[in-house]
Amino acid sequence: MYGLSCRVTWRGLRSFFPPLTPLPPGLPRVLAAGKKDLVDLPVLNEDELEEQFVRGSGPGGQATNKTSNCVVLKHVPSGIVVKCHQTRSVDINRKRARDIMREKLDVLYKGELSKVVLKKKEAELRKHEKRKKANDNLERKRLFKEALAADSKPGSDTV
Amino acid sequence: MAVNLWSFRDSLKCFQGIWGCHGVRRCSVPAPALPAGRITARQAVDVWKRHFEETGVTEPDSSSHYIIAHLLGAKTIESLEQGKLTEFLSREKTEQMWQLCTRRLSRMPVQYVIEEWDFRDLTLKMRPPVFIPRPETEELVELMLTDPEMKPGAGVGADAQRTCLEVGCGSGAISLSLLNSMPQLKAIAVDQSQDAVDLTRENALRLGLQDRLQVYHIDVLKDAETVASLCSPVSALVSNPPYLFSEDMSSLEPEILRFEDHAALDGGKDGLKVIKKILTVAPQILTNHGRVYLEVDPRHPPLIRRWVEANVEEMHYVETRHDITGRPRFCVLQKKMSNKGHKLDQD
Repeated sequence: MYGLSCRVTWRGLRSFFPPLTPLPPGLPRVLAAGKKDLVDLPVLNEDELEEQFVRGSGPGGQATNKTSNCVVLKHVPSGIVVKCHQTRSVDINRKRARDIMREKLDVLYKGELSKVVLKKKEAELRKHEKRKKANDNLERKRLFKEALAADSKPGSDTV
Repeated sequence: MAVNLWSFRDSLKCFQGIWGCHGVRRCSVPAPALPAGRITARQAVDVWKRHFEETGVTEPDSSSHYIIAHLLGAKTIESLEQGKLTEFLSREKTEQMWQLCTRRLSRMPVQYVIEEWDFRDLTLKMRPPVFIPRPETEELVELMLTDPEMKPGAGVGADAQRTCLEVGCGSGAISLSLLNSMPQLKAIAVDQSQDAVDLTRENALRLGLQDRLQVYHIDVLKDAETVASLCSPVSALVSNPPYLFSEDMSSLEPEILRFEDHAALDGGKDGLKVIKKILTVAPQILTNHGRVYLEVDPRHPPLIRRWVEANVEEMHYVETRHDITGRPRFCVLQKKMSNKGHKLDQD
């Protein structure tokens, strides 16, 4: 593509995506990728997932109008990657990617847990924990800085 | 880097013909000729993808894919029926493909080219110059829906009708999405643009949500008091207000600069012009403990927190939330408990 630099980010998802809780009333049931009831499938741990987005360089939001809404979701411990571009909504694609991921994990868990898979999981987890620790530290520093800035006014409410 | 390229491209605007040529490498590249014989959907996509690439149209892949999918009755090319792409296009469909792709040559956003787009589980009509919803804003809605404060049955008057107010509704994406997900909710939406008001009403009708939504043509910068008088206190105020910094406007991509309403983007020198107004009037609009949900520029959250603490006694800054790319993007504030006629209580 001529010119435009794209920002492709792999995000660890600690708190960016709300945990999978029962759907709020009124929200239409997300279509399951397969025939199984969602309840039977393994629950996803967002800490084990990484998501890829293309959102352009710069501040994003109103400053950008990109239409590439494909979501790529990776389950770090198993190495399973799910790609979803079924709809034009990033939000829906993310939810569907997770449904597909749960189905794939179900297949994986039901199958024989070979040594190879276990070994791979261990190695990935170790790498992931290391990265997570580094990110957590950065996050802590950032929050500290922000708290400092907010408390700069004398006599202000402590939040 | 991208910033400089767009300025350079814009300076070539004067060389655009009706085919919208603005290639840096050459000028006057006509649109590909309408084929004499039959072509397949796949071939049409390839012709136009190549042409978009040659003329510097961004997202040449996605653009041609979304357009052909739309013509063939699908949302995305990935969700098309097997084999559809290798079928021959009818004469009518071929002409439509050429017509729509020619619009894209002028850098018209795909959403305006096909006149629709999806926002969460809704399909909305799109029309220039009404602001096109961004993916980040889907998360703003998700944030509200998962906020315990917004749950039906929460707080005082559990069964009471909940109402929310949206400032700057654009195509109606936020309000309509909330209404669609919360059957007990009522909404009021305002926008300074008559085009936006019309489009929101149109989308409400198409989705059968018009009974629970009132839309008004009001500029909150000029008539903030009018907004306050429209409704008895609401439990939530939501907005994706213009939040770009004025100095950043000129470096926007042509898709945005040429086709979207600048008033929906430009938030003044510090991008906070409309945000400050909303927060100033929020205490008059909200119930006690009512919340404000804002989408903002990543630089804004600490600025807003400081400003609110210094200037809007009644509002308490609750938290900053990040978007999917990890940028600070959403501010949540809450109206403190107030006793009218008494000194304001500090929560």
